[in-house]
Amino acid sequence: MHSTIRPNSHVALRLPSGISKVIEITPNTTINLGKYGTFSSNLLLGRPYYLTFELLDKEDGKSRTELRVVPASELHVEVLGNGHAPTAEASDEPAEGGPEFDIVGENGEVIMRNNRLTVDDPSRQKLSMAEIEELKKAGAGSGKEIIAKIMGSHEAIEEKTSFSLAKYTLRKSRKYLKRFTVLPMDVGMLTEYITERESHRVMELREESLGLICSWANVHHGGASRVLTAEDGLSQIGGARWLVVDDTGGLVTTALAEKMGILYPDEDDDQNLTAEEKDAGAKEGGEPIQTTNGTTTSTNLEENGDTVMAEPEPEGESTTQPQQQHTAIDAPSDPQPRPRRPPRPHIPQMSATTNTLTILHPNNQPNLSYLKYFSFDTGAPTTSHPLYKHLKSLSWLQLLSPEDDPSYSEPEALTDEMLAGMKSSKRGNYYKKRRRWERTTRLVEETRRGGFDGLVVASTMEPKTILKELVPLVRGGGRVVVYSPNAEPLVELCDYYSKERRTAYVARQFDSQNNRSNNGSSKVKRERDHADDMYAASTDAGDEDDDFPVNPTLLLAPSLQTARARQWQVLPGRTHPVMTSRGGAEGYLFTATRVLPFEGKVEARGHQRGKRRKTAATAETAAPE
Amino acid sequence: MAPSPPTPSPFFDPGTHSAPNSLGIIQLRRDHLIPTVLSSTADADYKEGKVENTRFGSFPHSTLIKQPWGSQVLASVVDTGSRSSKSKKRKRGPTEEGRDAPVPESSEVRGDVVKAETASSGFAHLIPPSPETWTLCLPHRTQVVYTPDYSYILQRLRVRPGDHIIEAGAGSGSFTHAAVRAIFNGYPSGEYQPNDLNGTDYGIEPDSAERQKGFKQYGGVYSFEYHAPRAKQLETEIEEHGLSALVTVTNRDVYQDGFCLPSDGRNDQGPNANAIFLDLPAPWLALKHLARSPPSAAVLKSVTASSDPSTPDAEASVMPQLATEVFRSPLNPNKPVHICTFSPCIEQVTKTVSAMRSLGWLEIDMVEIMSKRLEVRRERIGLQEEGLRNANPNAATVVEAVQRLRDVEERAKVFHGLQKEKQEEVMRRAEAKKRGEQLLANTAEGEERTRAKFEGLPPSKLDRLERAKKDLQIRELFKEGRLVHRTEPELKTHTSYLVFATLPREWNEADEETARKRWG
Repeated sequence: MHSTIRPNSHVALRLPSGISKVIEITPNTTINLGKYGTFSSNLLLGRPYYLTFELLDKEDGKSRTELRVVPASELHVEVLGNGHAPTAEASDEPAEGGPEFDIVGENGEVIMRNNRLTVDDPSRQKLSMAEIEELKKAGAGSGKEIIAKIMGSHEAIEEKTSFSLAKYTLRKSRKYLKRFTVLPMDVGMLTEYITERESHRVMELREESLGLICSWANVHHGGASRVLTAEDGLSQIGGARWLVVDDTGGLVTTALAEKMGILYPDEDDDQNLTAEEKDAGAKEGGEPIQTTNGTTTSTNLEENGDTVMAEPEPEGESTTQPQQQHTAIDAPSDPQPRPRRPPRPHIPQMSATTNTLTILHPNNQPNLSYLKYFSFDTGAPTTSHPLYKHLKSLSWLQLLSPEDDPSYSEPEALTDEMLAGMKSSKRGNYYKKRRRWERTTRLVEETRRGGFDGLVVASTMEPKTILKELVPLVRGGGRVVVYSPNAEPLVELCDYYSKERRTAYVARQFDSQNNRSNNGSSKVKRERDHADDMYAASTDAGDEDDDFPVNPTLLLAPSLQTARARQWQVLPGRTHPVMTSRGGAEGYLFTATRVLPFEGKVEARGHQRGKRRKTAATAETAAPE
Repeated sequence: MAPSPPTPSPFFDPGTHSAPNSLGIIQLRRDHLIPTVLSSTADADYKEGKVENTRFGSFPHSTLIKQPWGSQVLASVVDTGSRSSKSKKRKRGPTEEGRDAPVPESSEVRGDVVKAETASSGFAHLIPPSPETWTLCLPHRTQVVYTPDYSYILQRLRVRPGDHIIEAGAGSGSFTHAAVRAIFNGYPSGEYQPNDLNGTDYGIEPDSAERQKGFKQYGGVYSFEYHAPRAKQLETEIEEHGLSALVTVTNRDVYQDGFCLPSDGRNDQGPNANAIFLDLPAPWLALKHLARSPPSAAVLKSVTASSDPSTPDAEASVMPQLATEVFRSPLNPNKPVHICTFSPCIEQVTKTVSAMRSLGWLEIDMVEIMSKRLEVRRERIGLQEEGLRNANPNAATVVEAVQRLRDVEERAKVFHGLQKEKQEEVMRRAEAKKRGEQLLANTAEGEERTRAKFEGLPPSKLDRLERAKKDLQIRELFKEGRLVHRTEPELKTHTSYLVFATLPREWNEADEETARKRWG
């Protein structure tokens, strides 16, 4: 994340009302904050995050709207009320212009008041609506004067207790102060922003659930991971690759990508800031620097990712840099396709071998619309963005029945002569198709070979159907995490992996195995197992599916949990949990570990001793998967 | 302990199979995990080499090494009884006499471990370590920060790969491991020097600034612990886990001495942190060190004044020190810094928050995490459960209850009828006896009649129990009953209050002027 606001990045502006507004900061544009006013976007560029600005306009004697940084001490005074002002750091940040913040009359030094005399009558406010509107139109100094006037004309301001006075002041400031705080657009902010207005689109996912998902999925940066293969020499095992089913518009994906260090287009460049700021005089100085960093970032990642295996298509990195820079400049600001430049080496999308996310989507294209806040558009991805190589997506059709997907069938290969005789646009088309086919084939095959480090599911689809297909693709010891807004689907899932069902499943497998061996010949065990699988698949299918929609022996320690953050107000003498908060879905998490059951009979031990309830292991036998 | 651990830590890249000298976790039950550094050597008390003995069987390390992760491993037959006599001999062996003649057994020879014999029962699963599994099984030294808390904290602190995080009050190290995972973005140096770590700074590659192809900042955890033995043990664990290039453990009183690390020529930068986690009894005393510029005297006074009288010495000793020494900030000057303090009591929170306000922290927010785990089970209720375990044998429905009552009544009626008959019989006999008559023939016939009367009746309790037991053989209990969920019996209702705050980058007139010139 940058320490200062960059052009064409998304930021969140939190208004005094508590509502956040997400905007893209495009240079030389006007930002409109409704009743709070308008100002030029350039006033924010290059400034740090988390500062609170106050709008100063004509009425404050400025020729055009300016922003004033509100010092922390001033912000805290308001919250605390006058009685408990923290030691102001007056020397540190002299307020430029503007009067000191002194809304409350100085005569408020009454020792203790109570609300015995409180009169619940709106007529005690002497200013009428019209008068207040008039004041607002006159636009007296960034709202403070209005508030002072309002408070001044309250008939019984002296009768208020100090607490209620503080509350009253705060309420009025929220309404009239022309201020906003600039917050960076990160996953936490995005979650807060979505939760405020459209939480149903993200399955009512809250930040605490996101944190839990990331932890239990053991998601981490895997740029340094080795590329290791299974005994067949082909299937990759591990390598920091996660399978994701995401029906939250990409929110879960962004959280995972953030933890893997592939969400932000140029995360490493903060160190160069000081150097960058020195050449501030240079025209549009920020952009070339920003993009150079973008490309070096991706190169760095590649270097890390390829400690063992050589980059499959190592061509490009150095030669493509000019183009990458170009697209990096354009793409975030306008979503139009990349400008056409004839000789452009191809950078294969979704080609990373480690540190990747593989998204499975039910439609033709994945819905990852929230990635747009991080300068990534799945429709027209920027090559310099780390997600370009590290985010892979394929549809359920491509995974389960690739033959039915047109992009999986090989387009006709043409000879060089034939290509040479083609129009350039046709040739381009040809290459495009070939590449799409190559990409799909590679993706489908590597995904079907499995060996993923974990599976993260936040989907509206029936979880058992997802796990049936995807759990076998997770490596031994890999984590499986399923989020659901409601407990019931996950309770069911726990039941499908219950100890009792596992025992029954194994017993049933053994029964059918024994039947086979009794009926038939003395085949080698391996063969018998195989035949048995076939048998089970053909004859028992109906019954098996009802009782055992998933193979219960593949997951260890299925658990169900939920977490919720409870917010508190902390003020001197007034500390308590906040009075209201969001209801709705609680948000539950199913977690388990993928294991490789022993091939053969397994007898548990220890279930005679200790508390019965606690014994997880029962008499159990396991069979081949 | 273990020889130098392999470079890729098993926490990040466990490989396909378990390997010797690397941490593995044996999972026996959901919350029963045993961490162990796998060892292939024979210098242990058993002829099978190093062995983990559990309630569910014994697991020699030879059966755990080179297994695919996630494997179900069967227990082995290990002679645990005769160990004591041998171990005495063994312990003396290598240390005093060296490896010479008086050790006849072949198992004494290094590497020659007896192949373990599989036991008839018992199994466990071998899983790779992760901060979550480690949190469940680490050796407790202090209160542990559990997964629901640390996952939320790291999320809110916006910790990302490449970040630098300060952790004070390392405690048992659960947060340390979670934090390492969050900041990890590669090992700072290709070469690994396990013995060269004495509280010095390894978080940043020394020559990274000079690297031509872009600057890459490697992530680092700066862990501070007041208690020397705990710090030592954490350091040992970190090294065993292959994480010592990423974690700097320092034994220090942070209230007094702050968070800056001594410059060692290569690295005169402090932790350069952009995230802070304080699990300290008095976080407000540490806050003054976590500033961008030296706090003014007035602020310091107000901060220390808020502390209780039990810690007056801190105030007295630190103030002059701060004044004399050149202030060095442990924070990253370019980035906003996020902090979280972890305190169980509300009074601590009040003081912390007021200190934060004085020191210019913003976005102050206090929350507590309420987490619970749910238990899923099938609740079987009904008369068919009579005499069975884990079920409720009451009537499941009104109909069932009525039927049962009816049955009981019916049986009672017959029973009473019989009783009456018996009574009459007795009376009759008594009378016959009185009269001196003999009434022998009736008894067998009476028995017959009794049985016939019960024939059509509902079964007796004994019969019912027998039938329930027999039915159990063919019943599919795993799908019977109602599926329910509820909070697990042991509930953590309060861990600690979490105070979050943010310190923006410093911004002064000159900065503003530069920005204005550049952007307008």
